[in-house]
Amino acid sequence: MGLFRIFRQKGFWILLLTALVLLAVVKLSADDSPGLNSAERWVRNSYAPLQRGTDWIQQGLGQLSTRMLGIQDMSQLLATEQAKNQQLGLEVMQLRESQAEVERLRRLLDYKNAQPNSYELEAARIIARASNNWYKTLTIDKGADFGLVLNMPVITPDGLVGKLVNVSKGTAQVMLLTDREMAVGAILQQTRENRGIVEGVGNGQLRMINIPYYSQVQGGEPVVTSGLSQIYPPGILIGTVRDVQKEANGLVLSAYVAPAVDFDRLEEVLIIKSFPAGPSPADQGV
Amino acid sequence: MRSLILVLLPFLAIFLQSTLFRAIPIQGVVPDLLLILVIFYAVFNGSSKGAMYGVACGLWEDLYLGRMIGVNAISKGITAFILGRMQGNVYQDNLMVGLIGVVTGTVINAMLLFIISMVAIPGLGLDRALLADLLFQGIYNIVIAIPLYMWYCRSSRAGVLREGQSG
Repeated sequence: MGLFRIFRQKGFWILLLTALVLLAVVKLSADDSPGLNSAERWVRNSYAPLQRGTDWIQQGLGQLSTRMLGIQDMSQLLATEQAKNQQLGLEVMQLRESQAEVERLRRLLDYKNAQPNSYELEAARIIARASNNWYKTLTIDKGADFGLVLNMPVITPDGLVGKLVNVSKGTAQVMLLTDREMAVGAILQQTRENRGIVEGVGNGQLRMINIPYYSQVQGGEPVVTSGLSQIYPPGILIGTVRDVQKEANGLVLSAYVAPAVDFDRLEEVLIIKSFPAGPSPADQGV
Repeated sequence: MRSLILVLLPFLAIFLQSTLFRAIPIQGVVPDLLLILVIFYAVFNGSSKGAMYGVACGLWEDLYLGRMIGVNAISKGITAFILGRMQGNVYQDNLMVGLIGVVTGTVINAMLLFIISMVAIPGLGLDRALLADLLFQGIYNIVIAIPLYMWYCRSSRAGVLREGQSG
């Protein structure tokens, strides 16, 4: 009887009505929308300064801890009367953080310079990550102001990271390869099976489906973008095959793929604004 | 003052989830501070008010995420409505009430998110990764909920969250 009492509550009917309306909104917004609406843009932009500030503080704290460690080490070295080594050790520690950053940026720059005629690239810094566990996304510190539009591919020198799914004035959201809604046309680099689709499985791993049953695919084989989806240029490394399985219907194989990019350690990324192999994402309007 | 705090808390929760807690994840999973807040609000204010607050907080999160608008609004609204039934039936000052509420709410919210997301992701199945995420989120939520519930309880009785508090 207690169960039926709930139907007499006004709040229950209001919630039910709200849920039904929202379900319709979910269905509508689940279809590919052209971008963020003004409310979404406003909410996203309200967080951007705070997230940039936090990123700046995190960098500062990293440098401070390096300095603190340096001071601690120096006192140990003083005890052993190695004055010259102390100074060098301290300097090395103080420089290590910035050196690591310079290295990362240099790799991005080298990669960018190595492809002057193929990709038009834009480097961006990661300022935040998804606020929930369902979505696998990153927020970068560049947006429409820098000519970024929906569906542009995002890479690092190690391989494919994902694509832009939301772009506001000063920030953009990158959907990672590991997101459950992600699917990329892929080709096995050695066996040349080109009908595969790599999809995210949510736990940091990828799965390649649609591999023909007769394929000679083996563990360790590189998987690269096929270019068939037209969003991604062909030949970008996605990862390497880890484990091959036969699907229940026996007609196709699937393979778990270890991503080439370590998504947990990403700090900067490159966005491909255009590439010559096909029409740029901006031209496709998707 | 109370209303202002209740508006600021969801804003702060999303900010912390996307920055600070992303630096200290457990198995890649971060706590759902917003859900914890909604559950506490529902336990102290009942089903109807809880559901309204849940829908509002969820909608704010959906706008921030910019993907499927309404998913979190529905899941958090219904979760709050169910857990709001605890009000009047339990001794709210008991920490265990808050923790049981958080565990139950985490499971209900995850189930609802999964069901609603099937609308957008064809072929989405309940796999080991999803269950592992749920397990670690439950653990992380409990860890965070202990100090938060103590604060929330105190604030609701004699602090900034006390009903009628005009500050």
